[in-house]
Amino acid sequence: MENTESKLIDYIDGKLGADERAEVEHQIATNNEVKQMYDQLKEVISQLDSTRAVEPNSKLKIRFNAMLQEEITQHERPMGRQVFFNSGLLRIAAGVVFVLIGTGIFLWVSKNQQQQREIARLRFEMDSTKNAMLNLLHNQQSASQRVLGTTVAFQMPSADDEIVNALVKAMNEDPNTNVRLAALDALGKFKHEQRIRKFLITSLSVQTDPVVQISLIQLMVEMNERSILKELEEITRKKEVLKAVKDEAYSGILKLS
Amino acid sequence: MEAVKGGDLQQASILFDRYHARIFNFLARLTMDRPVAEDLTQNVFLRLIRYRNSYRPGSKFMPWIYQMARNVFSDHYHAARSKVNANVDVEKLSEAMADSNESWEQEEREKLLQLSLAKLEEEQRELLVLTRFQHLKYEEVALIMNTSVANIKVKVHRAIGKLREHYFELENT
Repeated sequence: MENTESKLIDYIDGKLGADERAEVEHQIATNNEVKQMYDQLKEVISQLDSTRAVEPNSKLKIRFNAMLQEEITQHERPMGRQVFFNSGLLRIAAGVVFVLIGTGIFLWVSKNQQQQREIARLRFEMDSTKNAMLNLLHNQQSASQRVLGTTVAFQMPSADDEIVNALVKAMNEDPNTNVRLAALDALGKFKHEQRIRKFLITSLSVQTDPVVQISLIQLMVEMNERSILKELEEITRKKEVLKAVKDEAYSGILKLS
Repeated sequence: MEAVKGGDLQQASILFDRYHARIFNFLARLTMDRPVAEDLTQNVFLRLIRYRNSYRPGSKFMPWIYQMARNVFSDHYHAARSKVNANVDVEKLSEAMADSNESWEQEEREKLLQLSLAKLEEEQRELLVLTRFQHLKYEEVALIMNTSVANIKVKVHRAIGKLREHYFELENT
């Protein structure tokens, strides 16, 4: 019956040749069950085809323009790679950097017994930033908070094991693509570190999100990481992998070979 | 898109003008909720800008942006675990999608159709939105869904068959 239904749909859509058309018309004329199915399909398809497009609200364009201008402003800001900032966060990050630099200068000038105290204060501030980052990253309720967490990580001058582990977990397991990509961005900042390279290489074999897979391949190619060649070949053979990802893998193989 | 990828973000405005109505319609039919669809459309174009490096120069833009729209929809609903389902409120639904120019009869039929669509599996609804509302060819949908044209055709026909069942079940209740 599924075959009959499929034929009827093609008939209604005008996709049958003359012979098949005549056969279907004969069935409709002689078989009541087929006739009923034809009438029902015709009504449903006609209803589907007559449904008009929904007009988007004109404010959508205004919102888009505002968002675009913000992105352009961030893009033009001369500060290396751009990730997900908001102005408040940027201020916090700038504050942290300012405190660190100020503290560093003070230590260099004084070089006295206050040194130990200042180092302790520095550590405290680093720990506070790190804790804030980890809290954001562990917020299961809000993907945007987790993205902010990765942004704070990106701003940090170095990443200890706890931070790296949290970022790797986010990159590999977070249910939200934005968070996974932001985590990858943050890890990419520390790509010169051998331990980070290892995590990135491992991630390539476990990632299933096509957007992250593509970004990951691009990053590895940029790092000239030849050890991923086997994994890239594996990707090109996997049936379930999206074509765009396979294309990127082929491109990566070409560049790294 | 290649200009956007190269850093000329202003060119994204042209892409928005060309594609936002399509993408909005796609998302509106999937979410059955205009405000949510508008938010998600905005999100699609935000991703387009932020993840511009994932666009492969020379490849077709349309499947790429539809894949992005599918991801945005999937992230939104799976994260919130609030999929559109058969319990969708038909009155709320028709209000959300209402078009003041429709006759009462047409409006009723539209309601019945929307309710029948809501009873379909997510993939079936998506296929019908792409092929029937968006008028994409099977070849284009196959690219978006990374599968064969024959497979898409079989799935679309099954989806129409299922829609017919739901439509007439609901009509007779």
